[in-house]
Amino acid sequence: MELAFSAEDAAFRDEVRTWLAEHGPRERRPKGGPAMREFDLAWQREQFDAGWAGIAWPVEFGGRGLPLTQQLIWYEEYAKLGMKAIDTRFVGLSHAGPTLIARASPEQQANHLPPILRGDVVWCQGFSEPEAGSDLASLRTRGDLDGDELVVTGQKIWTSFAHLADWQELLVRTDQELPRHKGITWVICDMRSPGIEIRPIHTMDNGEDFCEVFYDEVRIPVAKVVGGLNNGWSVAMSTLSFERGTAFTIDQVQLSSTVERLIELARDRSLLGDDEIAYSLARARADVAALRSLTYLGISRNLRSSEPGPEGSMLKLQWADLHKRIVRLAVEVLGPRSLALDPEGEDTWSELFLLSYGLSIGGGTSEIQRNIIAERVLGLPR
Amino acid sequence: MDLLPSPEQEEIVASAAAFLAAEVSTQRTRELIDEPSNVDAKVWQAAADLGWFALGLPSDLGGVGCGLADEVLLFREIGRSLAGGPFLATTLAARVAAFGGEAELGTEIGAGGRVGMAVLGPESSLDPGGVVGTLHVVDGDDTELVLVATHERAALFARADLGDLVALECIDPTARLARATTTGAAPVVAVTADVDPVALRGTALVAAQLTGIAEATAVLATEHAKNRIQFGRPIGVNQAVKHPCADMAVRAELAWAQTTVAALAVDEGRTDAELQCLSALVVAADAAERNAAGTVQVLGGMGFTFDHDANLYVKRAFLLAQLLGPLRPALARLVLLPGPQ
Repeated sequence: MELAFSAEDAAFRDEVRTWLAEHGPRERRPKGGPAMREFDLAWQREQFDAGWAGIAWPVEFGGRGLPLTQQLIWYEEYAKLGMKAIDTRFVGLSHAGPTLIARASPEQQANHLPPILRGDVVWCQGFSEPEAGSDLASLRTRGDLDGDELVVTGQKIWTSFAHLADWQELLVRTDQELPRHKGITWVICDMRSPGIEIRPIHTMDNGEDFCEVFYDEVRIPVAKVVGGLNNGWSVAMSTLSFERGTAFTIDQVQLSSTVERLIELARDRSLLGDDEIAYSLARARADVAALRSLTYLGISRNLRSSEPGPEGSMLKLQWADLHKRIVRLAVEVLGPRSLALDPEGEDTWSELFLLSYGLSIGGGTSEIQRNIIAERVLGLPR
Repeated sequence: MDLLPSPEQEEIVASAAAFLAAEVSTQRTRELIDEPSNVDAKVWQAAADLGWFALGLPSDLGGVGCGLADEVLLFREIGRSLAGGPFLATTLAARVAAFGGEAELGTEIGAGGRVGMAVLGPESSLDPGGVVGTLHVVDGDDTELVLVATHERAALFARADLGDLVALECIDPTARLARATTTGAAPVVAVTADVDPVALRGTALVAAQLTGIAEATAVLATEHAKNRIQFGRPIGVNQAVKHPCADMAVRAELAWAQTTVAALAVDEGRTDAELQCLSALVVAADAAERNAAGTVQVLGGMGFTFDHDANLYVKRAFLLAQLLGPLRPALARLVLLPGPQ
């Protein structure tokens, strides 16, 4: 057992830190729209040009092929920039890209992976539907085979950045007769195809990134199917289990900074004499420490075995709960100042407080995470 | 960075688990409840012979020379097993003696001595001159020495110097409790935390024991949820039962991960070692208490009986969480420490 990173990892951290300090974006990220997309992609291009894109991606797909510890280190250092953990690059880099690496044909990989790393394209996800949320396998959007094309008709929902995306990882039902998990296909959809209509969904944190996507006889070449027709469930599951070990690192490090900043603020404002606030802050400090330790434990397991451990759902569940608790504590420490949404140049958590309501819903609700832990890790009956 | 035990460390775990299962089964622990001593002298000696009480003591001070990371692996197994006896106080006492310049006493304790724990409360204190006030002595009713430890210093006292001990029935029936009130007793030997952070190490060891409880109770509840049939189905199909079981597993994982990091932070001399150790204590105490409580609830009426082990875990968790003093001051201290490294 060892907590210290190897000399090699420590040197890597120094290198990352130096580069990020010099090249981290100075200007404020635009709040939405094409300007935000351009900002994110320009930032990705800069990382790519300097050789920082795809740290844990295999070398044959343009990545660095570095060990998971260095991916962790990158995230830990990146987090200190204070930039959002999830931006328009997320699905491409951390979701669709890894799925293509695992399941796509060499031609699909050659076409789609380099543009993701280079910062040429934005991807989005088309999984959830109005009638298929937690029960994803009940999805109904049709993909009817017509010659060498799939004709897609239906609706997806909760698609982040659909209005800014070039490509979508899309799940459609290509066989109505087969059992529900068996008739699903994972296909790459061109978001500029005729027949696609995108409507924004206004969220409670005033975000505009969420969309509904409607498909009216959208024609997608069969060559864009990944992993074979009617094999999409298994392809989707490989996506959902990917990167769970490190996926929350950025946010977790930022949570730790938030707790430290709150302790500082509470001290400055003489709030540590309030036992309830002092104990809550101490508890938050302990819980953030434990969340990081669990991340490290998961990575340690991943380094020894490629089988994903139980940490994925545990981390998601605990992270969402803790994040909610901490931003709630933050607005409490701020007092009436928290009534103002995002005043420039001041400590503010009010928007994050509102955003946090979604954390235990998106990416699999906390209830679903508990089912996964109970059934797949503990072996409790369904 | 690698938080998993090495093959040699796996060996420590396997041999500890085997020893505890063979020599200190829960049934044996229950038999000892009605005996004058809660410790079987032969078993205690056998544990000492395995090097348990000197495991983390440097070899130049007569110890085995392993790290705190090895000791937490052992204490996690002790926690899981419900074995009674002053494992923590004895282990820490060997350090106090060894680092305090009483090498012979240190070796003696490590070789099979037994030392009780005196818990400080709001009406007692430990300073360089000695200890004053009302103390609660755990598993020290028949020991010659008792340990008192704070984050500043740790000291061993002759039990006889603390005045008359009043025997009390402990909330944990597998432990022995007495109360002493002293107007001032001088230590036999003492060390300050800068010489050896005795209480800090104790914090990690208690966290490990509490983690063992959190893990053991999570398993009890989950197994019951799988096997208990009501309304024609295992009760674990219900999310009202299934989800608490999932939460128990998460709490146990978090507690173990943090305890591991805490022990390594001490072993590697990190500046945030105290933050990591107090975090481990807070997280593990919560995990043990809530998992034990959740287990009683999942077990229903059976969980409320004395004959089921769930209640022994509830009581042990309650005792351990206070063995180094109440938790609130630890929280108050945690929030004032410098941030993580």
